[in-house]
Amino acid sequence: MSLLKFDYSSLTPGKKLAVKYFIVAIILFGAQLLFGLIAGAQYLVPGLFYNKLDFNVVRMVHINAMVIWMLYGFIGSVYWLIEDEAQTELVGYKLGNLAFWIFTLAVAVVVVVYLFIQIGPGNQTSLWLINEGREYIEAPRWADIGIVVCVLIFFYNVAATFMKGRWTGIAGVLVLDLVALAGLYLAGMFYTPNISVDQYWWWWVIHLWVEATWEVLVGCIMAWSLMQVLGTPRKIVQTWLYIEVALMFGSGILGLGHHYFWIGTPEYWLTIGGFFSALEPVPLVAMVVHAVYDAGKHDFKNRNHPAMAWLIAHAFGNFFGAGVWGFMHTLPQINLYTHGTQWSASHGHLAFFGAYASINIAMWYIAVQKLRGDVPFDSRLPHAWRWKSALALLNIGVLGMTMALLISGYEQSFIERAIEGSTWAGYFKAQTAKWFMQGMWWRQVFGYATALGYVLLVWDLMTIGKDVPQSVIEADRKERLHGQKTRG
Amino acid sequence: MTEPVLASNIMLATMAGAMMILFGAFYAFFFAWSRLKNKASYATLAYLSYGIFVVFTVVLVQVLHLSGYWRILVALLLLGYLLAPHGIWHLCVGTHPHEEEIATRSTPGKSSGLS
Repeated sequence: MSLLKFDYSSLTPGKKLAVKYFIVAIILFGAQLLFGLIAGAQYLVPGLFYNKLDFNVVRMVHINAMVIWMLYGFIGSVYWLIEDEAQTELVGYKLGNLAFWIFTLAVAVVVVVYLFIQIGPGNQTSLWLINEGREYIEAPRWADIGIVVCVLIFFYNVAATFMKGRWTGIAGVLVLDLVALAGLYLAGMFYTPNISVDQYWWWWVIHLWVEATWEVLVGCIMAWSLMQVLGTPRKIVQTWLYIEVALMFGSGILGLGHHYFWIGTPEYWLTIGGFFSALEPVPLVAMVVHAVYDAGKHDFKNRNHPAMAWLIAHAFGNFFGAGVWGFMHTLPQINLYTHGTQWSASHGHLAFFGAYASINIAMWYIAVQKLRGDVPFDSRLPHAWRWKSALALLNIGVLGMTMALLISGYEQSFIERAIEGSTWAGYFKAQTAKWFMQGMWWRQVFGYATALGYVLLVWDLMTIGKDVPQSVIEADRKERLHGQKTRG
Repeated sequence: MTEPVLASNIMLATMAGAMMILFGAFYAFFFAWSRLKNKASYATLAYLSYGIFVVFTVVLVQVLHLSGYWRILVALLLLGYLLAPHGIWHLCVGTHPHEEEIATRSTPGKSSGLS
């Protein structure tokens, strides 16, 4: 790390812990992209790694790596902000550090087991030690328990730190959200032989854990980031955090119903899911008003342009990925055809990137600025092309993949579901359709663009701010002093 | 029983859904901008956007065969999208009083030198 010339001396214990989480998040982000590229290539060359690294395993690692790197990113972000927010040192640094190493070791072991034991019997041993068999949350039972224990340690550290220090609005929302973060994961851990009942609870983890508790977590991180990057007053961000949480829960909890359409639940879920899913974009549309209000009243002057750019990318990505791409196919009359096709993958790619990846990247830039001695990351930043190119490539790459998957998904829905009536033959007919395959090729091309963007991002994070001239640092210091005097 | 969209209307249903959210956002954008700039022309654009939003909603209702209580839900949705920006605007004005005053005694972690 000394090669990177980062300034660790000024870091508090919480921030040191956060940097560890960020590093693992960045590595797992790379793993997600690598396995995504392999999975994409297997659509184009079906025999690729056949019987060595089959598609089901590659896809599983691709998605699991994403879930885990985002979790690492969020935990890191909270550890980064908690001491500023509570105005006291982190309680339980050693415990947090221990949890970090156990969690990281567990993730490594789980991935190695995924890769080396790909086939086995569906019995209790497999469930506890190899693979739980539930899509997206395949981690074996021992790792599930480990995740819950680590989240509980995280919860203790956060709650105890706020109790020792200052209790704020952000703190209250965050602590309550962490209870749900640990609690809702339990819904995906028990076994039932009834597939409908099993899916019912499984969606609690997929929809409520990821789409509700993570969204609230992101709301807290966004609130704190806006205070840091733009200097937005606390009273305003906290009030809006409450409003956002209320709006989101108002529509989001029962919006869960759009996952219950086709799993054998009663028919009333079609109405509940349809109506509340239609309401889910309301908070996103309503937030447009607030964004316009703020843009008109302020000039967005800030000292961290990369972080600000990624926060803006987050707002747009969340709106398009979750709002537009979600509502496009959420009502049961259309969802009947699109559910679980590449259409869902299109929505998933843009929504996860927009809502979660972008805000994590913004936090990394906030952290790196501190690690560089709080030098300005503004228009005077040398080699600014790197962060701008990374931003452009990652966004164009993901947007391109989203569009390509949408075309494939449309073709799949049309041929496999609407024309062929979801038959086995229809599935293969759609998978080999001309437009479906063209979409897959373009997805791969944009996947490479995304991977290139990732390489640039990592390079930029390691080098940004290293060569800021002393004259710029001095000028920035004077500007900040002047700013303080004018305010004071 | 819910009647699925006709195969020939899948694209139309999708586009109508996407356009609803986009024009809902345009309505919110122009509405807020008109209040901010105090210009009637932006308000016209806002309500024009809302009108297009309504048109796409009607298209969606037709192609998805929404009938009975579904239509009541759609009416509530139209009302909700119409009023939400008004409500949020009032909240914006209400939550930003004496902003400069608040800013001076705000967050300790906040970087200075910001506008």
